Amino acid sequence: MDLLNPYNLQVITFIVLNGILAISIYITLMTGQLSLGHAGFMSIGAYTASILTKQADLPLFAALLLGALAAGLIALLIGAPTLKLHGLYLAIATLGFGEVVRVIMLNMEITNGALGLTGLKSIGNTLYEWQKAIGVSAQSVGVSVMQMKALLTLFFLVLLFAVILFLTLRLNRSRIGRAFEAIKADETAAKAMGLQISYYKMLAFIIGSVLAGFCGGLFAHITTTVTPDDFNYHKVVEILSFAVIGGSEIVWGPLFGALLLTSLPELLRSLAEYKMIMYGAIMVLVMAFRPHGLIAADTFQKLFRRRSKQASAAKKEEF
Amino acid sequence: MRWFNLFWQQLANGLIVGSTYSLIALGYTLIFGVLGIINMAHGQIFIFGSLVGLALMTSTDLPLPVAFVVAIVVSAILGIILEYTALRPLRKKNVPHLASLISTIGFATLVEEGMHKLFGADSRSFPEVFGGKVFDLGIMQIRGVDLLIIGISLVLMFVLHFWITRTKLGKAIRATAENSDTASILGINTNLVIVLTVMIASGLGGIAGMMIGMTYSALIPSMGLTLGFKGLAVLILGGVGSIPGAMVCGVLLGVIEVFAVAYGDSSYRDAVAFGLIILILLIRPQGLFGSKA
Repeated sequence: MDLLNPYNLQVITFIVLNGILAISIYITLMTGQLSLGHAGFMSIGAYTASILTKQADLPLFAALLLGALAAGLIALLIGAPTLKLHGLYLAIATLGFGEVVRVIMLNMEITNGALGLTGLKSIGNTLYEWQKAIGVSAQSVGVSVMQMKALLTLFFLVLLFAVILFLTLRLNRSRIGRAFEAIKADETAAKAMGLQISYYKMLAFIIGSVLAGFCGGLFAHITTTVTPDDFNYHKVVEILSFAVIGGSEIVWGPLFGALLLTSLPELLRSLAEYKMIMYGAIMVLVMAFRPHGLIAADTFQKLFRRRSKQASAAKKEEF
Repeated sequence: MRWFNLFWQQLANGLIVGSTYSLIALGYTLIFGVLGIINMAHGQIFIFGSLVGLALMTSTDLPLPVAFVVAIVVSAILGIILEYTALRPLRKKNVPHLASLISTIGFATLVEEGMHKLFGADSRSFPEVFGGKVFDLGIMQIRGVDLLIIGISLVLMFVLHFWITRTKLGKAIRATAENSDTASILGINTNLVIVLTVMIASGLGGIAGMMIGMTYSALIPSMGLTLGFKGLAVLILGGVGSIPGAMVCGVLLGVIEVFAVAYGDSSYRDAVAFGLIILILLIRPQGLFGSKA
C-alpha cells in the first residue's frame, strides 16, 4: 500500500489543484490576455475563505465559493480600466496588483501578517466527518484515518477538476468560446464582426480570476495554513509556465504543463533545489524553439495523421 | 519651523531615490522604444551587475569608480546574453506578442536564481564611501553621497538626451524605433542598434543599482524584483516609450513614495507605486507624458 501513503496522495492532489490553476490561466489567455495577477487572486480567495471559516465559522464550502467570488469582484475593478488598453498594460497592472495584495496581507491584522493563518479547517477532515455521518469509517474501507482523509481530499479535487474541465470544454465550443478565439486571432476583425471586445475580454479575465481565487481557497484548506509568501512572484512564474510550456492554444496544453512541472520536481527530488532555474530555462528555450508551447492546436491532428499515413503506407507495401 | 525643515528634507530624499528610479525606467523605455517589448529581466540584470561590482569592491578593495565600471560592464554583458538567447530568436519568427514578455520573465528567473546561488539571499552591505560627510544647506542636510547620486543621474540623463537627439547613432536608434524594417532598408544595421540599445539600457541600470546600494548602504538580490517593479510603474506613469516621461515620473514616484512613508504607513511603501498605476490607468491611461495611440 505504499502508493496510498498520505505524502504521495498529497502530491497527486497538488497536481490536480495545479491542473485547475492551469485552466484558470488558460481561460484568461484564450482572449490573448496575459494576467500576471493569478497569485494575487489566489491570495484573495485563500484569505477570504480562511477568514470566513476561522473567524466567522462559516461552512467550508460556502467560504470557498465566497473566496472565489471576492477574487472575481476585485478582478472586475482591476480589469475595467486596463482591459481596454494594450495587453502589456494588463500584464503590468496585474503584476503590480499581486504585489499590492502581498503587501496588504503582510500588514493587516486580520491576516496575522507574515506568520499567516494556521490551523484552518481541512477539506479532508470535513469530508471524513460527512463520511462518518453516513456510517462509513476508515476501518471499514481498510485504510488508516490519515489515508482516508487524503484519499477523500483527492477524490473531491478530482471531481471538481472533472467538472471544471468539462465546463471549459463546453465553453470552448460555445458562442463565448468562439468569440474568445476570434478576439485572440485578430481583435480588429473580431470587432468588425460585431463582437464586444472589452466585454469578452473582461469575461475571460474574470472567469480566470474566480477560478484562481477558488484554487487559493482550496490550497489554504488542503495545507491548513496560508501565508502571504505562498502567493509571491515565484507562484506567478510557476502558474504562467504551466501555460507557456504546455501551450495555451488548447486546454490540454496547460494541463500537460501542470502535470509535467508539478511531478518533475517530485520525481527528481535531488533537483528540487533547482526548480526555479529549471522553470526559467524551460521558459526561454520553449519560447525560442516552440513559441506556441509543446502541445499546439494541431499537435494531436499531426500525430494522428502521421499514424494514419504510416498505416496507409504499410497497407501499400502489403499490396 | 521644524515641520518646514522636515518637508524639505523629505523632498531631498525623494529626489535622490527618484533619480535612481528614473535611470531604471529609462532602461525599460529605451528597450521598449526600439523593440516594442517590455524587458521583464531588467531589474535582475542590473542588480546582478551591481552585486558583482559590490562583491569585488569589498573583497579586493577596488576603488568605487572601477566598481561602477564593473557593474556597468557585467550588466551590459548580461543584456547581450538576453538579446541573443531570449529576444533575437523570437524576432525571426512570427510569434504572439506576449512571447517575448514570457521569455524575458524566464531569463529573469534564471538570473535571480543564479544570484541566489552565487551571492546568497542575504543583504550585502555597501562600504561607506565618503565617510558620511554631511553638507548643511540651511533648510536641509544632505550627504556627500546623495549629492553625487543626483549629480550623476542628471548628467547621465542630459548625455542620453543629447546622444539620442543629436548624434548619428541616436538617429539610428530613433529610426529603428520608428520602423525597423524601413530603417534596415535604408542601410541601418538594426541588429547592431538593438544590441547597443540593450547594452546601454542594462548599463544605465548597473549605474542605478550601484547608486541605490550607496543610498541604502546595502544591496539585496531580491531588490532586482522590487526595483524592477518600480521601473515598470514609472514606465506606465510616464507613458510607455516616452523618455522625458520616464525621467520626470521616476523623480515624481520617488518623492511621492518618500512622502507616503513619512506621513503615512511605512510598511506600505512598496504598494505606493502600484496604487499610482491603478490610479493613472483610471484617469489618464496613456500616462502623464504619453500621446493617445
